[in-house]
Amino acid sequence: MEAASLQAEHHHGPPPANRSSRVDSSLLGMYLFIISEIMVFGAFFTAYFFIRVVAGDEWPAAGTELPKLIAGVNTAVLLSSSVTMHFALESAKAGNRNGLKLGVLTTFLLGATFLFVQINEYVHIGFSPSDSAQGSVFYGLTGLHGAHVTVGLTLLAFTTIRAFRGHFTPEDHRGVEIPGIYWHFVDVMWVVVYTTVYIL
Amino acid sequence: MLNPLRSEGEAFRFLLYVVAVFAVIVALVLLGRAIL
Repeated sequence: MEAASLQAEHHHGPPPANRSSRVDSSLLGMYLFIISEIMVFGAFFTAYFFIRVVAGDEWPAAGTELPKLIAGVNTAVLLSSSVTMHFALESAKAGNRNGLKLGVLTTFLLGATFLFVQINEYVHIGFSPSDSAQGSVFYGLTGLHGAHVTVGLTLLAFTTIRAFRGHFTPEDHRGVEIPGIYWHFVDVMWVVVYTTVYIL
Repeated sequence: MLNPLRSEGEAFRFLLYVVAVFAVIVALVLLGRAIL
């Protein structure tokens, strides 16, 4: 009785949540998220492959052209942002506060540059989603990815602000690690989108 | 086994593998198109 009251006295916050799975809840959440993401992107890729393989239509639509070179440079920008993200976390682990700040800020700026170039591409590309099935799929796939970049930039904005406020230490850097995993996932998806939509 | 959801380091390595695999695929397809 006395031990229970002593324990209750030292416990702060809500009671521990009931666990119905042997898998860690945060990991389970991440798995479910990634599975749902694969299904969303899969739906758009199905439409893409239907146009190119099943229907055998030309890609892109007749009279339109995709800016491969600009998108290629933009791909390099996005991939380099993954390198700076990795550098940021390694700096956090090593206790290099300036490296962490530089890393997350550069990652944010490179990601913002990618999004700016993507929007600029939409403005000058010369066709709209309603012009053709190819246009719909192009805007669908690149737009879906752009939405993910926007979410990633929001996470990175919080990480950058926290880094400049001195929130992360070599022991506690989960706030850099999780956005980092998400950011690399966004880059992986872009490699697939760029290769299939622009190159092949 | 590589699990890109376990840590940022593994996610970064997974990205590098994906880039390498897709570079090979693109090279093979473009080579195939040039030959045929």
